[in-house]
Amino acid sequence: MAFVPFRYNLRSLFVRATATALTICAIGATVAVLAGMLSLQQGFATLFQERGREDVAVFLRKGATSEGESGLTREQCDILAKEVPEVERGPDGQPLASAEVFLAVRLRKFDGGETNVAIRGVQPMTFAIHGDDVRIVDGAPFQPGSDELLVGEGLLDRIANCHVGDTLRINTVTFRIVGTFAGKGGYRSEIWGDLERLSQALQRPVRSRVIAKVRAGTDLAAVQARYDADLRVQPRVETERTYLASQTGELSGRFQLLGGFLAIIMGIGAIFTGTNSMLGTIGARTHEIGILKAIGYRPWAIFASFVGEAVLLGLLGGAFGCLLVLPFQGAETGTMNQTFSEVTFAFRTTLPVLAQAITFAAVLGLVGGLFPAWRAARMTPTQALRRG
Amino acid sequence: MASAIILRSVTKTYTRAGESLRVLDELDLQMQGGTFYALMGPSGSGKTTLLNLVGGLDTADAGEVIVGDTDLGTLDGSQLAAWRARNVGFVFQGFNLLPVLTARENVELPLLLAPLSKAERRAQAERALELVGLSDRMDHKPRELSGGQEQRVAIARAIASDPEVLLADEPTGDLDRTTAGTVLDLLQRLNRELKKTILMVTHDPQAATYADQVIHLDKGKLGRIDDNRAAAKRS
Amino acid sequence: MPWQLLWRNVLGHPVRSLLTVGAVAVAVFLVCMLQAVTSGLSRTLDAAAANRLLVQSAVSLFVDLPLAYQQKLASIPGIDAICKWQWFGGRYEQDKGGFFPQFGIDPETFLVSYPEMTVVDGDYAAFQKERTACMVGSDTATKYGWKVGQTVPITGTIFQRTDGRPWEFTVRAIYTSTSAAVDKISLYFHYDYLRESVEQGGATGPEGVGVYMLRVTPGTDPLTVQQAADALFENGPQRVQTTTEAEFNRQFISMLGDVPTLLRLIGGAVLFAIFFAVLNTMLMAGRERTRDLGIMKALGFTDRTAGLLLLAESLALCAIGAALGLLLGLLAEAPFAMMTAAFLPGFGFDRDTALLGAMVALGVGMIAGILPGLRAARLTTVDALREVG
Repeated sequence: MAFVPFRYNLRSLFVRATATALTICAIGATVAVLAGMLSLQQGFATLFQERGREDVAVFLRKGATSEGESGLTREQCDILAKEVPEVERGPDGQPLASAEVFLAVRLRKFDGGETNVAIRGVQPMTFAIHGDDVRIVDGAPFQPGSDELLVGEGLLDRIANCHVGDTLRINTVTFRIVGTFAGKGGYRSEIWGDLERLSQALQRPVRSRVIAKVRAGTDLAAVQARYDADLRVQPRVETERTYLASQTGELSGRFQLLGGFLAIIMGIGAIFTGTNSMLGTIGARTHEIGILKAIGYRPWAIFASFVGEAVLLGLLGGAFGCLLVLPFQGAETGTMNQTFSEVTFAFRTTLPVLAQAITFAAVLGLVGGLFPAWRAARMTPTQALRRG
Repeated sequence: MASAIILRSVTKTYTRAGESLRVLDELDLQMQGGTFYALMGPSGSGKTTLLNLVGGLDTADAGEVIVGDTDLGTLDGSQLAAWRARNVGFVFQGFNLLPVLTARENVELPLLLAPLSKAERRAQAERALELVGLSDRMDHKPRELSGGQEQRVAIARAIASDPEVLLADEPTGDLDRTTAGTVLDLLQRLNRELKKTILMVTHDPQAATYADQVIHLDKGKLGRIDDNRAAAKRS
Repeated sequence: MPWQLLWRNVLGHPVRSLLTVGAVAVAVFLVCMLQAVTSGLSRTLDAAAANRLLVQSAVSLFVDLPLAYQQKLASIPGIDAICKWQWFGGRYEQDKGGFFPQFGIDPETFLVSYPEMTVVDGDYAAFQKERTACMVGSDTATKYGWKVGQTVPITGTIFQRTDGRPWEFTVRAIYTSTSAAVDKISLYFHYDYLRESVEQGGATGPEGVGVYMLRVTPGTDPLTVQQAADALFENGPQRVQTTTEAEFNRQFISMLGDVPTLLRLIGGAVLFAIFFAVLNTMLMAGRERTRDLGIMKALGFTDRTAGLLLLAESLALCAIGAALGLLLGLLAEAPFAMMTAAFLPGFGFDRDTALLGAMVALGVGMIAGILPGLRAARLTTVDALREVG
């Protein structure tokens, strides 16, 4: 007869339904906020970690932290494409390398305001390099040398005038949207067009980067070192995967900061709530505790019983919180990464996120229940019976 | 002259779990002012209900309850509350002091309802505590007092606003014989020296001997009334 | 009204009262911080000057306008002064994680156009005279311990020196700002220094100017100037978009996208949680107090008083919690503002924020106290006393 039967705790929770429900709501709201933040973070992380190929190399100007800051001349791009032996060649002997120009351009949003959208001028080789990672899902690819654009599917719901058939004015030139493409990672929030035409329209003769197909595992640091002293071009070379990973740093960091801050603050609030709730519960059951002790249950059994009840409350609150968050699953939202281009990503409430949320809730319940349970255990039977 | 208490054809029914129970059945009773009554009867005979009706804590379903000049049936909720504050003092079995207040503050509580200044309230409370012999315990909280002391503070609270009627529900139920005696002595003194009308519910025949008259109730109706004073004179 | 009883009840259960106060404090703190973000953003907009216009590329934030545009813009009637702004985008190597904006500007027309700025250390004239001088915001100067006369190295990213070394600017003035529209963290240097370096081969980087600031002559309608400027360059080479300062700032704020909505959602959830917490506490208190309430009613206190007592207790706890939460918020304001100055401009507590926090707490206290209060009022004395046993 060591442990207090848990049936007793369950019954008590039921009997005091209102109080139980309110506590679960309070903890649930906390957990929902946390799970929401985790889901956002997960969605964002997934976006960038999703793809980034090991067999694609990215050449930027040395010192640039992102494409937006990078500038390579036409000649420099040619050198990198043709002279670097690690760059793979196609069946026709042409290097599988492509120069690109990147710019965040101001476009109108559906709801009125303006936002910056990433525009990428590409060469036909770009598609071959990305392979299946980029697929046309509607319309047709643009004709090289034409004033035509492809729009990433992530932008369809947020930017005005970007469906097939619409026109967009880029500086002084009008372009026609001829297709929609699905892309992995950040590409899905970009607009692509012909490199030469876009460079001219934007009045931007300088390219942003060169991408090239290399064999996976190639030592790109060696390539970079080789050009360190070269007077013509000093590129920064890394795999696409490394490059993309580096781009998420700041925003991801901010999410973690915000998420961490919220977790701590709301966690503290929830612990107060949980403790208060358990204190109230025990206050109402003082008489019963006295009887239990009079019967012969030891203090640690009483302690364990109430801690267990608190953890159960925490778990129930956690489950409720997860339920509150689930409707947001898949909801898309947009924000800016450090190149100020619109990035859309979705709430991703994955299993690990739920598990983390519920664990957090259980810990909340545990911490909240410790003090009250200790108090309950410490009461002498006569104290308890008399107060009741 | 202290108020008389008159009950005319008073009926009170309680419904519990679908069943209705007639606790007081067309009860007729007349009590004189300034007398100490004990109210006895088997459990369920309606003693406490009678007390509640006289104190304005509850209203009769039928009949009249008249205390002094006031027909309680004509008063609404808040009027009853105001009436209670001025005219009745309660002493309950479980002492019923507010645990968060000191003895003096507990006694002052009913005085908050009267138009008194802070100094007057304090003075009156202290006088009441003096009367019950607990001046030295004024600033103690109930948990620091013994059972008998708590009950005496409760009595002090009951007389603090100088009501004409004192209603006591099993005031000595939780006390040992000696302490009970002290409390009952006090009640007797309040009746004889201050002319308070006292109605005390009890199931203890010993306690009933302190009263002037003992009213017996049975199944909601009036049984016999014993007169202790007559008996005392005879002996 | 037995006020004394109110405080005794609150103090009589110290742990419970403290926990409730703590929970409310946490909620108010969070709500205020979240509100400070959104109100900070709108304050930045409100504080924008109506007489300053910004000419930028209609295409992109990252496209520069030709230098030749300056002369053409000067020909528009109604303009007092033109100041060039060029985003430098450099890094201060000693604080890789930190960030502050750097701009190349025209010192002659700069300070006079921004009366919100005051030089608190050093001398603006010295800054104006020296080619490689800079003026730094007080927050940044304090953060890194920079003093007037000190040379600070900034590594270029967009503009890179051909000798591979970082750019060096000498601090000649430190400024502060009295307006939400002007920050205290930027570093300003001579635009001409940048241009000459690029022209003479000392550095590489785009030619051109990021933004032209136009100061409108008093009495002139800014809209006419805006339209004139846009029309001037309708056919390129770079189309322009001339906006008021408020509009310009708003574009940055709108880039935060859904963040304000997200913050409001979080604030709502916090309220939700705390409300239930306080309600729970008061209901429990009310239940515990049943016997006491019975006694009070027996003594003659009205139902209304009984109900009000619980309501007042709820309000009292929430008021204390609100005060505590606001205090915490005020303490956290300065460090938080410094941390987020770069991407959340104008973060700060104002009267409205405090008011919101207080109202939230009292609102919760009110609603959370009504239910138990009603229950207390409706409790019949007989039932309450019967619970004694």
